[in-house]
Amino acid sequence: MMSFPQFMDQWETYADQFEKKMMDEENLKVKVNLEMPSSDQYESILQARLSGNDAPDLFTLHSNNISTYNKAGHLTDLSNEPFTEKLFENVKKTITHDGKILVVPIESQAWGVLYNKKIFNELNLKAPETLDELEKITETLKQNGYTPFLLAYQEQWVPQLMTALTLGGKVSGEVPDWVERMYAGDGSYEEMRDIFGPIDLIMKNGTERAMELGSELGAADFANGKAAMFVQGTWASGTIMQTNPDMELGVFPLPINNNKADTLVNLSTSTTLAVHPDSKVKDVALKFANYVLDDNDSSTLFESTRFNPIATIHNYETDPWVTDAYQYVEEGRSYQDLVLPQAVTEEQGKLLQEYYVGSVTKDEFIKRMDEVFAGAVK
Amino acid sequence: MFSKQKENRILLVYVLPALIAYLLFKLYPAILGFYYSLTDWNGIDQSYEMIGLANFKEIFADVYFWKSIQFTLKYVVVILVVSNVLALLLAVLIESRMKARGLFRTLFYMPNMISMIIGGYMWVFIFTRVIYYLADKSGLAFLDQSWIGDPRYSFIAIIIVSSWGTVGYLMLIYMAALQGVPLQLKEAAVLDGANSWNVFRNVTFPMIQHAFTICIFWSLSSAFQVFDVIYALTGGGPGRATQSVAMNIYEEAFKGNIRYGYATAKSTILFVIVFLLTLAQLKIMKRKEQEL
Repeated sequence: MMSFPQFMDQWETYADQFEKKMMDEENLKVKVNLEMPSSDQYESILQARLSGNDAPDLFTLHSNNISTYNKAGHLTDLSNEPFTEKLFENVKKTITHDGKILVVPIESQAWGVLYNKKIFNELNLKAPETLDELEKITETLKQNGYTPFLLAYQEQWVPQLMTALTLGGKVSGEVPDWVERMYAGDGSYEEMRDIFGPIDLIMKNGTERAMELGSELGAADFANGKAAMFVQGTWASGTIMQTNPDMELGVFPLPINNNKADTLVNLSTSTTLAVHPDSKVKDVALKFANYVLDDNDSSTLFESTRFNPIATIHNYETDPWVTDAYQYVEEGRSYQDLVLPQAVTEEQGKLLQEYYVGSVTKDEFIKRMDEVFAGAVK
Repeated sequence: MFSKQKENRILLVYVLPALIAYLLFKLYPAILGFYYSLTDWNGIDQSYEMIGLANFKEIFADVYFWKSIQFTLKYVVVILVVSNVLALLLAVLIESRMKARGLFRTLFYMPNMISMIIGGYMWVFIFTRVIYYLADKSGLAFLDQSWIGDPRYSFIAIIIVSSWGTVGYLMLIYMAALQGVPLQLKEAAVLDGANSWNVFRNVTFPMIQHAFTICIFWSLSSAFQVFDVIYALTGGGPGRATQSVAMNIYEEAFKGNIRYGYATAKSTILFVIVFLLTLAQLKIMKRKEQEL
């Protein structure tokens, strides 16, 4: 079971290739049964299946949930599988828990703010390094009749990306022990008040009717030039390029304040593939897990799904915006996604919606987040 | 004839398939739900502990839960009135027509045949694109609202879509009841000099009381569980402004801190509320029904 409904075709082809390979090499007749629930419902379905003793042989999960699922006994230790040797070191780090590799990473990405390079070039604008520079860009854009930011807040995970980026940058750049202290009940969102700098700037200079725009339509609007910047990950590039194949897409890290050290792109592994320990066909399941990083076939899959390279065997040309983002990574200007409790992440999305429509203030936001964090780690 | 006992046994055999399905898929999970509401199970762990009534105690201080109850109550009252009045109106209008009854009946019933999630997404498109366009081109300024983004208007949007989905079903029940009103009673009333309003008020209305009982019972219990329409339209947002109890429970069980036990405790409370209300409703309305 996988959470890639948008890549159904690619994975089906890959599963067929796997079936053929098994037949040719080991004379095993394998039938891969792919299930792709929509990403909104994926976790509910997975949980229902796991608790109903009807676990899928292989399933995808977000790397943030690895330790929860591991504690519940739903993950197989894959440390000694051949694929682990092919992984890039920095990617391997993102999925190692207690010295064990429990999943196959699939999606790993560097992302920040998407911007329309055509508009930026036309106005001679450069990617900003500080909040002041971002403000200047916003002004210039407005003076030239462009809407600076695209806002699509109907789905809560989209506004949530702003907290992901701002907290990530601020924490990694200035207060590296914040997450640890939050877990220990010894920190506060008060220390993170800076995050409202860019958040206010974005919300005040964005497109209208944000609460009615979903992520897909938002990406399409962005592709059609309705705004010059969009706080959205590179995973939206599929929709964007499909809507407007001539789009020149760029990525820059979101500045939080005027401390350049906080201006970082997010490098993280999101979707990973796990093998369930109670699988009746664990041998084959493990073979499939390894096949995801197959020497010959993997590159084609990763290229066709526009996933970023994660292993030494991946040798395809990346898209310009990926190259953009990885340039920051190479300069050491990236941070590892903060591992926050799921309840905290979701509450941030909800509160940002409320903050946008004006039903909570900054102080209420901070107070509420402290409560939710405390409740989640109780 | 069969003896009473044998007759009962035969009847039991007739309902057996439905009874088994009911016991297995409705009653058994419901009882399990009560049990889990006393635990701290998170839905994925293989072990959990009995924590007694702690979940219920916590609910009393749960602001968002009570807010969602409040929202749901408001929704129930409005939808109950709107959908039943509309359904009865449609039923009477269609019944009074000579031609094309079948056509209208089918047309109004049709929304019932698609899932409300899909219907909801269709309406999202209507609210965000079509109406926006209409307001833009025709100058109907009052249409230019954030129909699903602003809690004040999204409540109206939710009511519109919900009634669109339920009216057809209620209408069929009312139509069936209207057809069951004996013609001679109406004729007798007309001969006695009653006008059509009087006939409706004093003959038809009392004769279709049983349909009211069914329709109000059905809309009451289903409105309390409203989920899909809101999920598709606003996702409960902005924030939690349009969150119904069912959504609050869903989020508790499958999102956030994944507190399955706590969520089942919440649904137990919802069950008690719905149970008491429908019980009272049935009692009151049954008394008013006319037997022929």
